[in-house]
Amino acid sequence: MQQHEIRRFVERYFTANGCALLEAHDDYLTVQLTAEMDKELMNRPFYWHYIERTGGVPQPMQLTLITRANERTDKLKGERLHFGAPRLHQLFRSAQKRGSFIRLYEEPNAPLNGNAALHPWLGMNVVISYECDRKKDEIVSLGIHLISGTIVESFHERLRERRLTPKIPDYCFTISPLIKPRSGIGRLEQYIESRIGADDHTWAEEARRRWADDLALLDEFYKDCEEKPECYYIEKEALEKQYKPRIIVSIVNGGLFYLLPRQP
Amino acid sequence: MNIDLEMDRTWKEEFLERVEKDGPWASWEMYELALEAAHHLIVPEFDGLQAPKHLPHVTILPHQLEVARRVVEEMNGKAILADEVGLGKTIEAGLILKEYMIRGLVKKALILVPASLVSQWVRELNEKFFIPAVQQKKSYVWEQCDIVVSSIDTAKKPPHRDIIYEQPYDMIIIDEAHKLKNNKTKNYEFVQNLKKKFCLLLTATPIQNRIEEIFNLVSLLKPGHLGSAEQFANTYGKTRAVQANDHLKALVNKVMIRNRRADTPIEWSKRHVEPVLIEFTDEERELYEAVKALRHASFAGSFSLITLLREACSSREALFLTIKNMIDKCGEAVPEPLERVLEKINAVTTNSKAEKALELIRSINDKVIIFTEYRATQLYLQWFLKQHGISSVPFRGGFRRGKKDWMQELFKHHAQVFIATEAGGEGINLQFCRHVINYDLPWNPMRLEQRIGRVHRLGQTDDVYIYNFAVKQTVEEHILTLLYEKIRLFERVVGELDDILAKMNLTNLEHYLEDAIVHSRSEGEMKIKMENIIAMIELAEQLRREGGQRHAAT
Repeated sequence: MQQHEIRRFVERYFTANGCALLEAHDDYLTVQLTAEMDKELMNRPFYWHYIERTGGVPQPMQLTLITRANERTDKLKGERLHFGAPRLHQLFRSAQKRGSFIRLYEEPNAPLNGNAALHPWLGMNVVISYECDRKKDEIVSLGIHLISGTIVESFHERLRERRLTPKIPDYCFTISPLIKPRSGIGRLEQYIESRIGADDHTWAEEARRRWADDLALLDEFYKDCEEKPECYYIEKEALEKQYKPRIIVSIVNGGLFYLLPRQP
Repeated sequence: MNIDLEMDRTWKEEFLERVEKDGPWASWEMYELALEAAHHLIVPEFDGLQAPKHLPHVTILPHQLEVARRVVEEMNGKAILADEVGLGKTIEAGLILKEYMIRGLVKKALILVPASLVSQWVRELNEKFFIPAVQQKKSYVWEQCDIVVSSIDTAKKPPHRDIIYEQPYDMIIIDEAHKLKNNKTKNYEFVQNLKKKFCLLLTATPIQNRIEEIFNLVSLLKPGHLGSAEQFANTYGKTRAVQANDHLKALVNKVMIRNRRADTPIEWSKRHVEPVLIEFTDEERELYEAVKALRHASFAGSFSLITLLREACSSREALFLTIKNMIDKCGEAVPEPLERVLEKINAVTTNSKAEKALELIRSINDKVIIFTEYRATQLYLQWFLKQHGISSVPFRGGFRRGKKDWMQELFKHHAQVFIATEAGGEGINLQFCRHVINYDLPWNPMRLEQRIGRVHRLGQTDDVYIYNFAVKQTVEEHILTLLYEKIRLFERVVGELDDILAKMNLTNLEHYLEDAIVHSRSEGEMKIKMENIIAMIELAEQLRREGGQRHAAT
């Protein structure tokens, strides 16, 4: 992540959460936190507890975040943001918490002749993690048409091309899903499983080979022991933890999208 | 496929609940930001390192990056990091830990280090690596904190020991791991019973160890890598040093990484080494001769003449303590020779070495570290310098953790001189100082290297000055001229002598020297023995050079 990307991310994050930008420069920005964001980010529960109990006037903090060091920013009292900075990772976590569930409607580009039907879709962005003693992740964006059951990939990219709004637009109506959201998710999960099944799993075979090699060494080490000491079993368990391949699917976010059917 | 698959179900339940309740829903912008954050947080490849991207403010040297890469990609996260002193093993370990944490493969880690280094590790991990490491102070810390730094002596004791065994640690890091060379110790057993998914053992001096010690260290990390104890004894039992057997060397190198200063393209500041010869006063000379005469004395109780001689060269205080102990053991009748020594001790009024040190410290007019082998000398020096208006701080291995840090800080900001005994040589960083006085020389070259390594390490930008004290016509002069001048120890690349000694099975150099000095019946015999040692070392050096050329040619 480049510094200018961090700068952009931070500005979008605070704007999206209703915080006023007091100063916004290429190299730093100062934001006035709202009470809600102060509670979320500044870790001062006692202050908020005190204000609420005494009925005092809350004074949310201001935050200065520096994304490029230079003569001007060196003099500022602020936090330096870079990709490893704990503050940035806090914002990442907060964004993921606040951006997990969504429901949107597509707004037609041109005025409609009469009414338009919006079709229900369920979208999900998932991270597939391949883990052994090494690790790799992949992000997959899926969408399922809750009428026909059609599943498409790169769903999020398709969404980006459309105008979406949280309220149902005028002269539009939604078609009720034939497939309920619960079973829609179920179908997507099945899709993910078969997609993973079709993957190349050399990585897992290699991990199992490393595991078997180390296990053979361990057995050799204790082969003269009639009764294996406890550390043999501890070590054996540790090897399993170290090498045993597993795949973890976690969901970043997702939601319901009511979209206009596209002309072919 | 037959690979365990875990599907996150928590999102699903909460989503369905929100569908039911018709919200609340995120804005499109927040939704996009969440996905963007995920894109930044994922690890797209099995290979390569993510950590450097997270640590733009840390200068990571190429050899440190390479170590981290090899440990993760080739050694499956289990390794002995054995770089020479001062090449940044802590940085390497931090880098590897960070990498695994970013990849989500390590959540809980236990870091065992000498007591004097605990707070330094905590500081470095937090400040350099943004790893929220915590110093173990209360027993609940083991359970509540994910990254804990502790001394091994605390950790192995109940009730800590049992609590630790219950914790699902993903990574264990042990600093100064050469202390685990003996598999009969409690420390060894403690570490052996830890669950080691990933494990790093840090040591600067693995090669000087005897071959069984290497076996023990490797077996702790990866049992069976060198075979069982019996197989190992049968195959390599006759090999004295790892270096001598190419097969064994290759095997060890699979789990151990050792960088040498010479191999790194780093520009090191220069070392200036100056021998400082000191003349005894008449009283001091008489005392020394009286101690020497003990060689022919016969009385109950064994003693080490060499120790007494070395103490006599250090300070009368150091000698007095030992002599007093010997007298106490003799009971009522104090042997006449000891009585004589005591008399001579009382006659000495000055300390020529201390005078010289004072003169030197005044002319340097900058921070100075003095190393001595004896605690009595340390106390004396502190008193002596104070008499002359020079502030100093003492440092010993026995100090508690907090006191050590405090003393280090005191020296940095308030005192001119730092007086350390041998135990103080390990694991402290004093790069802000560039003058070292070896008040008495250790006979083990590796210990000397550890001392100098305190100031001559990464981060030292100035030239370093080393002053080696030796009193004329004493054992010290023999050591200085024969070892440190003829073998040119100080001019060598660090680690080179280490190799040579290992190759010649001369790892117990100290004993050879002691034998030459104490058991020789005449000056002539001693000279010959010393020259033999030098000849052996020279031969080894020659072989090493030729070996090097042969490797270069193929």
